[in-house]
Amino acid sequence: MLIRIIADLLIAIGLVFALAGTKGTLKMPDTYSRMQASTCISTMGILCAGLGALVYAVFTMHSASAAIKIGVIVLMVFVTNPVGSHAIIKGAYRAGFRPEKRMEVDEFRRDFDE
Amino acid sequence: MQKAKFPAIAATFVLCYAFWILLDFSFKVEELIAGAVVSLPVALFSARFFIHENAGWFLHPGRFFSAIFFWCGTFMVELVKANVDMAKRCFGGCKNINPGIVKIPVDLRSDYGQAALANAITMTPGTITLDIAEDKDGKTWYYIHWIDVATAEPEAAGEAIKGRLERGLRRVWE
Repeated sequence: MLIRIIADLLIAIGLVFALAGTKGTLKMPDTYSRMQASTCISTMGILCAGLGALVYAVFTMHSASAAIKIGVIVLMVFVTNPVGSHAIIKGAYRAGFRPEKRMEVDEFRRDFDE
Repeated sequence: MQKAKFPAIAATFVLCYAFWILLDFSFKVEELIAGAVVSLPVALFSARFFIHENAGWFLHPGRFFSAIFFWCGTFMVELVKANVDMAKRCFGGCKNINPGIVKIPVDLRSDYGQAALANAITMTPGTITLDIAEDKDGKTWYYIHWIDVATAEPEAAGEAIKGRLERGLRRVWE
């Protein structure tokens, strides 16, 4: 019973962070800030949901193979997520997306002005 | 692109084979043989992209345990702090932001170290690495999109964004 509560609690925390990321992705004012908010989903959301599933797999299902697969899923998301975010945000900048509100500083434009 | 050496191929092969066993998780003889048959050509073709320097780099105990300590300790603490901060901004109506692109100096010399630091910065919500550039003096700079620009001064911004992360990674890659 206690195990079940811990697993559910972890998954619920993950969902709260995923909700925050989703709200940010929909409501933030420009492309870059939306991208930043979406990082919440793929870090804390995945990590907490994965930990909850791991607790469930180890103590309720008693399955080593399921536990290892959950670990590999979390690891893979953590390895691939930053590469994707970096590529998307740099691509957006190169494609000419600029925020409507002026940025506080923009060193990238100052150094690589097209 | 240099030719792949034997230790690099062996290390890639061991990694591929370990992944096969983890995903398959059955220890029948035919499954193990099939894994080896698939892993060997993958290792032969991809070792030269995967390992550039010494293949046994992480087997050094100091580096190995500092890496574990960094990714399970320091990095997780920073990740949770940044996530809570970002969630507050999102639930608080998305108005409390002050975005900008800052430029920060990086002292890590190794390619792997710089890549790991750039990825760690991107993983923490609130900062994303746009680009890595090297200036005329051979000093490395990151361009970082920062959701809440506290200061545009490079050294202070660098300390705020990556101070702890870089000190943790320097124990692994120096």
